[in-house]
Amino acid sequence: MISGRKATKRQISLINKRRFLIPVSFLLLSFVLMILPLEGFVTSVKTLLSYVFIPQVRLAHGTVKYAEGVHQTVRELLDAHEENHRLKQQIEMSRLLTTQAETVFKENERLTAALNLQPVTPWKGVWAKVAYREPSQWNTVIIDKGTADGVEERSAVLSVEQGQEGLAGIVVEATENTAKVLLVRDEDFSAAVTLEQGQEEGLLVGGGSQAVQIKYLPLVAQIAKGDRVFTSSTSSIFPAGILVGNVRSVRNDASFPTAQTVEVDPLVRSSAVKEVFVIYRQQEQTGYVESV
Amino acid sequence: MWKACKLIVLFVIATVCHWGFATMFSYGGLHVNFMLVFAIAFCAFARLEIGYPVAFMCGLFLDFFGAKLFGNNAFSFTIVASVVYALRQRIDFNGAIPQILTVFLLTCAVGILNSLLLIRFTSSSMWPGTGSLVGGALVGALLSPIVFAVIRLCWKATPDKHI
Repeated sequence: MISGRKATKRQISLINKRRFLIPVSFLLLSFVLMILPLEGFVTSVKTLLSYVFIPQVRLAHGTVKYAEGVHQTVRELLDAHEENHRLKQQIEMSRLLTTQAETVFKENERLTAALNLQPVTPWKGVWAKVAYREPSQWNTVIIDKGTADGVEERSAVLSVEQGQEGLAGIVVEATENTAKVLLVRDEDFSAAVTLEQGQEEGLLVGGGSQAVQIKYLPLVAQIAKGDRVFTSSTSSIFPAGILVGNVRSVRNDASFPTAQTVEVDPLVRSSAVKEVFVIYRQQEQTGYVESV
Repeated sequence: MWKACKLIVLFVIATVCHWGFATMFSYGGLHVNFMLVFAIAFCAFARLEIGYPVAFMCGLFLDFFGAKLFGNNAFSFTIVASVVYALRQRIDFNGAIPQILTVFLLTCAVGILNSLLLIRFTSSSMWPGTGSLVGGALVGALLSPIVFAVIRLCWKATPDKHI
């Protein structure tokens, strides 16, 4: 009888220990992962996890894409005739523009050679779809192309908004078939930019939930609301001449200003990025878009 | 072995659903955390030896996509699992109302906790916005009776008080 009670007590004590030890061990493990720097051990853990999660991610993305595809295919079938007519007109227009563009390119090549300037090369890259966006992290998206398609870390990423190509962000991580893109609005994003008027140069920094800003602009720079902002030729990552956005306002809140700070409305909105163009790193020079 | 296979299939389905809902609702500005709904539902029915690792892995799955901090979701999901196991002794998770209320409140709590962890460890703000968080929690809460029913059906268990 007494030994039975002792056994029951031991069992209860074991259950209580287990109830305490399991959550505490997981909390400790996650805490350790949080305090460790993102390089080194955490990267190894992430690589290990990628073997488990990437196939799932691909399956999930494939399923969602297929489901979207069914809905889209039905809609496309319904609009096919009208779209066909519109596309035929666009093709005719494109032929005309191509002929004109060829003439302009030849003229440009001739003038570049005559003036001994750096020749303009097309931006070669690959189009990718946003495969996933974590809703709590608005400024990071996962795209469905990776190193297998030529996407590398620190590749510039463009997106089309309002019919214009604009800077969307930069690749911060690349696996074989996916890549993580840090968008312009993120606090960790920065790029050398120039203003359309006066060619003044400054440093564009993302603001997270705050506005995107250009810092270190000279005090003498004449800046007006609505001025367009482009990536600078001094940037080692981004090709020059990519439209970033428009000047929203000029801040004059410092007591002893040494430089101007400008708030910018990025052309590409974080919440609207769906398709992106990743520029191959070797090709990051001034030029025009050419998909491969 | 059969239960392990079922668990893997459930986890994969949960990730697919999370992917779908996150992508679908993010364009509407809502923060739907399906993995959290799955983790809560799973902990409501499974023993703690399985519930905690599953909750931890669900969190780790979300952390895998983060660029700034690694482990914050695993941390908050483990806390959520502890809360669910504590609630399981007081609340009957067979009813839809307790399921909806628990998911709604815990989703809001996890959103706040994650933002605080990001501020503490990375000094960066990742607040998705009150409307986004509450709206997403509401969608997750409305989905929860289905998720709970599926897990109860697959796991063939009832939430008892002896965990």
